[in-house]
Parts: sequence; C-alpha cells; structure tokens
Amino acid sequence: MFLRDAPARAVAPRRSAIRQRGETFLPRVVAVPVGSFVDFPNDDPIYHNVFSLSRARTFNLGRYPKGESRAVRFDKAGLVKVFCDIHSHMTATVYVFNHPWFTAPAAEGSFELTGLPVGDLQITAWHERLGDTTLRVKTEAGRPASIEFVLPVPAQ
Amino acid sequence: MRQPPRLLTRTLGVTFITVAVILTVVFTVLLVDARDRVRASELEKLQVGERAFSRFEAQRQRDQLIAISALSENSSLKAALDTYFAERGDQVAEQESALHETVRREVQRLASITGASVVAALDPEGHVFASGGVAAARWPAGVLVAGTTTSAPNTSGIAVVPAGAFRFSSAPLLLRDRLVGSLVVAASLDNAYAEDLARLADAGIVITVNDVAVAGTVGDALTRAVMASTGELRSTMTFDREEYAMRTLMALGPVRIYMLTSIDGAARKATRSAAVALGTIALWAFILAGFASLWLARTLTEPINRVSGAIATMTAARDFSRTVEPSGKSRELDALAASFNELMGGLTAAEAETRAAYLGTIRALAAALDARDPYTAGHSERVSQTAVVIARHMNLAESQVAVIRLGALLHDIGKIGLADDILQKPDPLRHPALGARILRQVSFLEPHLPIVELHHERPDGHGYPFGLRGDDIPIAARIVHVADAYDAMTSARAYRPARPHGAALAELQLYSGSQFDEECVEALREGLQAAAPHEDEESHRATG
Repeated sequence: MFLRDAPARAVAPRRSAIRQRGETFLPRVVAVPVGSFVDFPNDDPIYHNVFSLSRARTFNLGRYPKGESRAVRFDKAGLVKVFCDIHSHMTATVYVFNHPWFTAPAAEGSFELTGLPVGDLQITAWHERLGDTTLRVKTEAGRPASIEFVLPVPAQ
Repeated sequence: MRQPPRLLTRTLGVTFITVAVILTVVFTVLLVDARDRVRASELEKLQVGERAFSRFEAQRQRDQLIAISALSENSSLKAALDTYFAERGDQVAEQESALHETVRREVQRLASITGASVVAALDPEGHVFASGGVAAARWPAGVLVAGTTTSAPNTSGIAVVPAGAFRFSSAPLLLRDRLVGSLVVAASLDNAYAEDLARLADAGIVITVNDVAVAGTVGDALTRAVMASTGELRSTMTFDREEYAMRTLMALGPVRIYMLTSIDGAARKATRSAAVALGTIALWAFILAGFASLWLARTLTEPINRVSGAIATMTAARDFSRTVEPSGKSRELDALAASFNELMGGLTAAEAETRAAYLGTIRALAAALDARDPYTAGHSERVSQTAVVIARHMNLAESQVAVIRLGALLHDIGKIGLADDILQKPDPLRHPALGARILRQVSFLEPHLPIVELHHERPDGHGYPFGLRGDDIPIAARIVHVADAYDAMTSARAYRPARPHGAALAELQLYSGSQFDEECVEALREGLQAAAPHEDEESHRATG
C-alpha cells in the first residue's frame, strides 16, 4: 500500500530478506525504501538462481546452494520482479520507494500509513496478481482517515 | 448333300463352347463380385484411415503436449514477459524492446529446436506477443489468436489467425498460479500436412477452413466437388462419373478435414488384375481343353478309322476271311469290331454254303445230262478231272484251276436243249451257244461262260461257234477242248468202241497245233505220264 505520486523524501534504508524455501520466495512481496539491502538466503536443499530483468534493478545472483545468501542493494525506486532461473514458477516482487509512505498490510489485511500529507490523496494498493488499485482519500491535520480496499484476488 | 462334320471338329467345338460358357459365367460373377469387394475394402480402408488418423493425432497431440509442457517451463520467457507487462506504460523504450526481444529470441530458439512452423508467446488476453518459426510472419505481434484459451491447462486444437488456420498445442505460462501468458506451438494445415495424412490413410485429403479449401492432395475440381457435397460425416459422392467414398476426419472449429477414395478407380485396378488372372486361366483352359478333346477325338477316331480301313481293304480284296483286330481302347469300339467280325464270319459261311449248293446243283445237272446217254455217263466229271490235270501242268493259278474245274463240269450243259437223236450224233454243233445262253442267266456262273461257249473252237480257226484262232481262244476253253476230245476218244460210243489212252494221245498229238492247242496236248501228255504211268499199261492191256 503506498501514497501515489508522493514527493521524494529520503528515508533511512533498512535490510530485508526474501528467503527461498520450498521452491517459493518467502515473502513474495517486500516493500523497501531506496538504498535498502534485501538478502536472498537459500533454505532449500537445491540450487537457486535469483535474477531480475526490471528496469529499477537488474541483477543476477548466480547459483548458490543451501545456507548461502546473497544481498542486493536497491538504489532506484520502482517495481523489481524477481525470478529464479532454475525454477520458472518462482516469483517475488521488491517494491522500492523513495518516500516513507508505504507499508505492507498485515496478514488479516489491515494497514496503517502515518505522517501523510494533508489534502486529497491517492492511495494505491498493489497486488502481484492485480497490479495497482487506487482509491482517493481526504486527509485532515490531526485526524485519522480510513480507507477500505476490496481486491478481487482470484482463488488459488 | 452337305457332309456331316468330323468327329474331331465336333469334339473340339463342344469342348470350346463349354469352356467358353463356363469362363463367361465365372468372369461375370467374379467381376460383379470384385466391385462389391472393392467397395467394401475401400470403405474398410477409409475406416482404417480414420483410426490411423485418430491414433496419429492422439500421438501427435500427446507428443506436442509433452513438448510444450517442457517448453513452457522457461524462466527467461516468463521473467521477460512478466516484467514487460508489470512495467508497461512507465518504461523507457530501450528497456521495453530489450524485454520484447528477449521473449522473441526465446520463442525463435524454441521454434528451431522443435521444428514447429510457429512457436508464439501470447499475452494473457490471447494476443501474439512474439512469434518464431517459418510461418511466424503469419502470426504478427498483436494479432488475436482465436481458438486458443490462455487460462486452461495444456490444450490442443485449431487456432485461427487472419492468415490461416493452424493445429496447435498450448500451455499457460504460470508464475506460481499467476498467468503471465501462454506458449503456443502450431503447425500449419498445408499441403505437406495433407500429404502426410494422405500417406497415412492411403486416401485423398482435402482441408478446408471456413469452407475454403486451404490444402489437399486431390485436384481442384474434385476439391470443389467435395466441398459441394452433403458434408455428412460419412457419405459417397459422384464426380466425373466416378463414385467416391468420403469421411470427415476432423470437424473442429472452422476446420474440416475430408478423406476420400475412388471406389471406381480401385475397382478398375481390381478388375484389371482379375481380368489378367482370368485371361491367363482362360488361355490355359482353352489349350488344355484343346489337347484333351484332340486326344479324346483321336482315341475315338483312330480305332474307327482302323475298323473302317480294314473293312475297306477286305471289301477291295473280296477277302472276308480276315478279321478286324479289337483296338483295346474302347469297349464300344471293340464290341463294334467283334460284331463286324461275327457278321463277316456269317457272310463268309453263307457264301460258302451258297457256293456249295450251286456246285451241288451244277454237278447234279451235269450228272443228269451225262445220264441221258449211257455212253457219256461220267463224261463231264472225267473231262473236269482231265482239264484240272492239264491246267496244273500248265502252272495256272489255283483260282483259274477252280474256274476250269467247274467250267469243264458244265461244258456240255447246252446239250440239255438238244433232242436225244441229235445228241447221239458225233458233233452236235449248236450246244456251246445254247450252253452260253443258259449260263448267262446265272451271274454266279459267268466266269465259266467262255469254257462252255468256246470249248469247240480250234487253233486253226475251223472250230465253232465263232471260228476263233490261236490265242484269241481263252486258255480255259482250249484246255477243256483237249480234255473233252481225249475223254471222247477213250470212251465207247454207240457208233464206235473206246480207243486206248496211247492212241487217243497220239491222235491228239497228230492234230496238235491245228485242232488242238499244242501246249495243252503237251501238258496232258506230261500229266498222264506223271499221274498214272501204269495206266498206260493197263489201257494197253485193256486194248490188247
């Protein structure tokens, strides 16, 4: 979930991880500020080969076995699709932001964005299967505003 | 009158006509039957072709699905495709074309690996994203491919693009369970494919898309006729006076694949080979029948010819004592020969009997004649014996001797017609002519006629009734003349006594050449000497 068309504002980078476990990236979606590192540890007893063709960050970590981890620093805001060159069904997404107004919702779906500018805002929900869903919200100083997304995610 | 045909001709004719009739019937039945068989076998062939096609299609689809399942697990393809669509709208041209190019290179590589006419990556909505392969030009980017379903698992079927129809197999490109597009492997429904099918089914193939022929192995005219026909799954149709059996192999979407075979064409072939086989059989049948009837006719005609030849020979020789040998080749012919032999035996016996009866009659007649005058009793019998002796010594043929024996017996038959007083005279001049007249009535006695008529002719021409000379007088008549004179001289007569043998012979010798034939007199002398040397003495004694 993120504020659409937000003004750039530097945020302290953080370090996240996307594990490769059971031929799946876990978690499949990670949102980080610009400059952050994401580790890709291999928990599987087989080789994986993490790579990306995305404009925001193109990389190829090569093959490495269980227990090894390689890290990627994301210096450019944008959507980075991550794949495994060995297992074509594996996919993950790293969403890189150049502002602080983004978050990943909790498992039950709730989310909170703090310190948003005041005014008519657009909040976008990005889902790996649905892409962007944008709703408008009006914020006032000192008052919380609530917004509800209904995302028709197809049953798996 | 027309002659009846020869047995050989008749046998050959009957045999050939029989063989010809049998062959004609067999020919007709076989040819009618051949057509039915061909029809059945052509329909069967179509069925086999149908089965072969479905097996072939099933196998091909299986293979293609296996292939596409493997091909669709291509991470570069999926990553490029997914990234492309994730970034669409806000990406720079260079990056976009790099992703697009990645996908295009990937499908081209897959096309060259598989040899498929088209390998294409479709977007989730079913538009061509990139294509490769020899027919890739007919699958330009952005074209919607009808017939494929992107969401379903691996499928096969007919895909239609504006530039044509293709058989295809497709697999969804999935990232986990998320569809990013689909991969299609397609083959064009072209003449090469039609020829493959035609080889497989051993029949003609026509492929249509939306009722337009796109490929086929039969001519254009026939293709149009196929498309104009009923369109039922199974049917027959007639084109150019030939009957075709037709099946619809495939009716999928806009595509129809028809299979057809010419019943008449196949029937012609079958008929031709049957005709050749039957012709060979017929030839041999005629040759064998010809030889067989020739042989049969010969076994019949040869013994018949032999029997008739034998009969002809016997008739010509007037020799009925010979028999016809049985041929041993046919019971009927042997029976015929046996009956003929029996008949001839009967005839011979009857003739001998008749001859004996005649002879008896003649002897009786001669004896009766001789008995009219006590002096001439036994005269005819004696003249006959003497004449035979002369004839033998002159080495005459036995048949002539027989004529002389009987002729001598009859020589005085003419005296029957003379009155007794004339008869008593030494020279009853008229009796030879009378005798001849009597004998002419009996054809059987004809050979003896000259003896009776001419036995008083003399070599010097002073005889009667004609006064013939020397060799003009038949030898038999000359012999009997001598024998008659000799017996007359050696027998007593009313007007003179009997003279002795020697005196009689001497008198004969005296008049030999004038009254009597020299040879005959000489033969008599030899005969008397050889037969009875003592007789001379005896006669001398009698005279003495």
